[in-house]
Amino acid sequence: MKAQMKIQQTAFMLIAITLFFALVGMAVLGFKFSDVKQSATELEARNAKLLVSKLANSPEFSCGEAYGNMLHCVDADKVMMLKQNPDQYQFFWGVSNIEIRKLYPKTEGEIECTLSNYPNCNIIKFRQGREGTYDGKFVSLCRKVQVDNRPVNKCELAELMVSYEKK
Amino acid sequence: MISIKKGNKRSQEQKCKILAAKPKRAQEEMVGFALIIIIVGIILLVFLGFTLVNKNKSLVESYEVESYVHSVLQYTSDCEDRYGFISIKEMIVDCSEKKKCADGRDICTVLGTTLEEMLDESWKVAENAHAIGYSLNITIRGEPKNDLSFNKGNLSGNSKGYTSIISKRDGIDFSFTAYY
Repeated sequence: MKAQMKIQQTAFMLIAITLFFALVGMAVLGFKFSDVKQSATELEARNAKLLVSKLANSPEFSCGEAYGNMLHCVDADKVMMLKQNPDQYQFFWGVSNIEIRKLYPKTEGEIECTLSNYPNCNIIKFRQGREGTYDGKFVSLCRKVQVDNRPVNKCELAELMVSYEKK
Repeated sequence: MISIKKGNKRSQEQKCKILAAKPKRAQEEMVGFALIIIIVGIILLVFLGFTLVNKNKSLVESYEVESYVHSVLQYTSDCEDRYGFISIKEMIVDCSEKKKCADGRDICTVLGTTLEEMLDESWKVAENAHAIGYSLNITIRGEPKNDLSFNKGNLSGNSKGYTSIISKRDGIDFSFTAYY
């Protein structure tokens, strides 16, 4: 009788502990699954970070040898020309927005660059999709200017920004 | 007769002892169970707290700091020498040689103003911002140049930095650290 009681007690205890851990496990799983959207956004953010870190060196943006030995350099003249064919690059990089913001020298307000106002502007919107969260990297935004009838390099401080959609 | 009575008394005492011991054991088991629940609860709370705190952290990436240093050094200033407008990198070398711009301005002064304005435009430091502070230092011949050192915000906690060697011969270094 005593032994039976003990077995019963142990069984109840085991059931209670199993139930408790099962509930805790379910709570953790529920928390994790509710986080799937957050994880998707984080993945997008990571992709954007990876892209922004190497975008300035891609042939579409980089200065190449045109401005000497430059690092993290974006050719503004080239980007302005590429900007005229947005359809060809619609899904090329898999992000919603790519833009270059001139930081220094400071210009008042936000003036988007077009062929008519370039270079007296401060934002080059290369790819325009839905607004999202931005990730950026500093770049030298270089262009050729004419001084005394000869072309010289003019590099300004800018931020290359890539945006991704929040899920 | 007396021995039977004595025997009954003894067995009754034993029963009482058993009955008294039973609730004590049950109590001990309950305390054990409660302890397990509390420990698991604490672990769960710590885990939850850790995940929630980590999510809100915005980090300054090393490529941000590195690209900033290169972009600043490559910036074309409004200071001209006889060959044309010079970059910040060239300005630092010229400053160490105490040169002047073509228009007579002191290169070190122009460099200091330009760097300060650049920093203000690119790093908006605040306690809840992307970066909480920064430090920019230029070293010439191993000595930090005080008039070309810029520190702003909270210079403690996590940081990412990058140093560019401008001239090995003259010992000129340009270093920037962002705190987050």
